[in-house]
Amino acid sequence: MSGGASAANESAAGVELDRTAFNRALLDSVGVGLAIADAGSGEILFHNPRFLELFPELPANATMRQIVEVPDAADFKDAGIVIREQEIKIKRRKASLLIHFSRHSLPEGEVMMVECHNVSKIKELEYMIESYSKMVEKNARDLRREKERAERLLLNIMPKSIYEELKSFGVTTPQRYDNASVLMLDFVGFTKMSVESDPMTLVSELNDIFTAFDRISEQFGCERIKTMGDAYMAVSGIPEATPDHAQNVAKVALLCRRYVRQRGKTRPQDWQCRIGLASGPVIGSIVGVQKYVYDIFGPGVNLASRMEGLSGPMEITCDQDFYELIRQDFQAEERGTVEVRGLGEKMVYSLVSANEALDLAII
Amino acid sequence: MEQNLFEKYGGFSTVSRIVMQFYDKALDSDILADYFEDIEMERLIDHQTKFVASLMGGPASYTDDMLKQLHAHLDIDDEAFEEMAALFKATLEEAGLDPEDVAAVAGEIVKRRPVIVKAS
Repeated sequence: MSGGASAANESAAGVELDRTAFNRALLDSVGVGLAIADAGSGEILFHNPRFLELFPELPANATMRQIVEVPDAADFKDAGIVIREQEIKIKRRKASLLIHFSRHSLPEGEVMMVECHNVSKIKELEYMIESYSKMVEKNARDLRREKERAERLLLNIMPKSIYEELKSFGVTTPQRYDNASVLMLDFVGFTKMSVESDPMTLVSELNDIFTAFDRISEQFGCERIKTMGDAYMAVSGIPEATPDHAQNVAKVALLCRRYVRQRGKTRPQDWQCRIGLASGPVIGSIVGVQKYVYDIFGPGVNLASRMEGLSGPMEITCDQDFYELIRQDFQAEERGTVEVRGLGEKMVYSLVSANEALDLAII
Repeated sequence: MEQNLFEKYGGFSTVSRIVMQFYDKALDSDILADYFEDIEMERLIDHQTKFVASLMGGPASYTDDMLKQLHAHLDIDDEAFEEMAALFKATLEEAGLDPEDVAAVAGEIVKRRPVIVKAS
C-alpha cells in the first residue's frame, strides 16, 4: 500500500495516464473514508488514509464488523446499496458517520465497499441553524410586538389617517379642513389652586378630569388634540369630515361641564371650567421631527380661544356663526355684542342645554 | 449607532466558525477533552455560539446565573479554565480579529471566571 506503484511509469510520456497510480492517488486524497472488505469474512482488504483517520485505533486484521454495524446480506435487496448512520468515537471525540455499504462481485470473490462520510460538522451546523432561526423568529416576534406598541403610542398623539400618511411617505403635509369645530376649555383659578393645594393631588385630579373628557370626546365624534397645563382642546370634523361637527363639540361641552359640576359635589376641591366653542377653517399638521405633536391652527382655533376667554365660571360661550349651526338642537342665551380681539364686534351666546330630542342624559 | 464586534466581523457565520475551530482545539487538548466526554456537541456548540455572539454584542444574552448553573456540575478548575481561555484567544487571533478586539472578547471570558470555575 505504499506509493511505489507509480514509480514504474514516471518516465513515460505524460499523455498516457497511469491508471493505477491515478486511482491510488484519488483514493488517498478523497475526503471520504473508504474501505473494502471481504463480503463473507468481513476481513478488511483495503482502506484509504481517511478511513484510518476515522478509525485510528484500527487493529491489524480487524474485521469490518468490529468497527461498524455491517448490514446483513438480505438488507441490500435490489438497490445494492445500504446507507446507515452511526455514532463513533474518534479518540475521545464523538462523530456522526454516514456510511454507504455496497456489494460488488469481483473475480476474486464477493466484496463489500464501505464509504464513511463524517457528517458531525454538518449535524452541528444543522442544529445551530435551526436553533438560530428559532432565535431570529423569536426576535422578529418581539420586534413586531414592540412595533405595535409604538404604533399604539403614536396613534395616541395623532389621528390614524395622519399616522398612515407618515408611515407611507415619511412626511405629512398640513391639511386644511374648512368645516371643523373646536372646543377650548380651562379651569378658573387653576394657577391659584396649584399654589395653594398639594401639587401631586392637583395633577392627579386634573388627570382624572381630562381622562373623563377624553372619554366624552371620543364618544361624540371629537378628537382631543392636546392639553396644556389646565387647558384642554378638542376638535370635530378632522381628519374625517362630519356634518355634525358643531353639534359634536356642543354636546361634549355640555357633558364636560356636567361632569365637572357633578364631580365637585362630592369633593372638597372646587373645580370650575370655562369653555369656548367655534367653527371655522382649521389646519391640521404634525409639528416637529424627533418629537411629534399633532396640532391644529387657524381661525377656528383662534376664535374658540377668544370665546373661552369670554366665558365666566362654568360658562360655555360661542359666537353667532356657531350658534346658527346648532340652534336647532340646543338652547343658548344671547349675551350681546362684544369686541373680540382681532376679529371685530361679534354677537356671542351662552350655551345652556341640549334639546331633549338629543337625549344627552345617557352617557 | 456604533457597530459592535458581532457586526464588524460578519455576524453569526464568523462566530460559528470561531466556535467550531475552538472546539477542535479543545477536544485535542489533554486538559480539556475529558470535560467533553459524553457531551452532546450540537447543543454545546449552539450554546457556545450564542454565548460568544453575546460577548461580541450580538443578539443573545447569557446571565451570570445561567452560566453558573450550566457549569456547576462540571467541576472546572483553574487549570482547565486557563487552558480554555488560551485556546479561545488563539482561535480569535486565527480568525483575524484585531488585537484590541481579541483582548476585548477574551477579557469578557476571563471576567466570567468566578461563575465558571468551581469554588475551591
